[in-house]
Amino acid sequence: MDFSYREKSLIASLGVTLLIFGWYLYGAFSNLSLNPEPPGFVEIIILIIWVAVLESIIQGFLASMKKSQVEDERDKFIEKISYRYSYGFLSACIWFLMVQILLDTWFDNHLMLTTPYGMFHFLLLFFVLSEVIRFGTQLYYYRNGV
Amino acid sequence: MSQQALADKVGVTRQTIFAIEKDKYSPSLEVAFKISNEFGVPLETVFNYK
Repeated sequence: MDFSYREKSLIASLGVTLLIFGWYLYGAFSNLSLNPEPPGFVEIIILIIWVAVLESIIQGFLASMKKSQVEDERDKFIEKISYRYSYGFLSACIWFLMVQILLDTWFDNHLMLTTPYGMFHFLLLFFVLSEVIRFGTQLYYYRNGV
Repeated sequence: MSQQALADKVGVTRQTIFAIEKDKYSPSLEVAFKISNEFGVPLETVFNYK
């Protein structure tokens, strides 16, 4: 399969996002099912900062490589479509979490999802998934046309 | 004329010219006019609406 430079850089971004946040979220949700209590505030903050910094450095490097390429109307159009899908997904997820909080309040159920620790990681998961959708949509449209 | 040469003259990437040729992207009117101007032919000679 012949990939353009932009497609390769999108695949790399997608891979980095999946690898770093996938690794972090896998660990977080494994702990969540066993123990809904946070392992320690400082530890979580340090780990999140470490993951975010690592991800930003790699994404920044990939973005600087991409910027050296000329961006035209097709690239902007595909980017716009991908942001629309990503935003739609994220909005739906935020509404889902809001309903969960309301249900939790009304029925006094302490769901794993609505503990502060669980909520934090579900929000992070939804942000990561929306990024994956953004990269995935761009790849799809670069491959199949718009 | 090569795809890269046309892309440089029109101000888009080579991939976009390739996508237009393969019918995978419908260019804006501005780009469509620029392409037809490069070939020195009317717009409807280069593009047609399906």
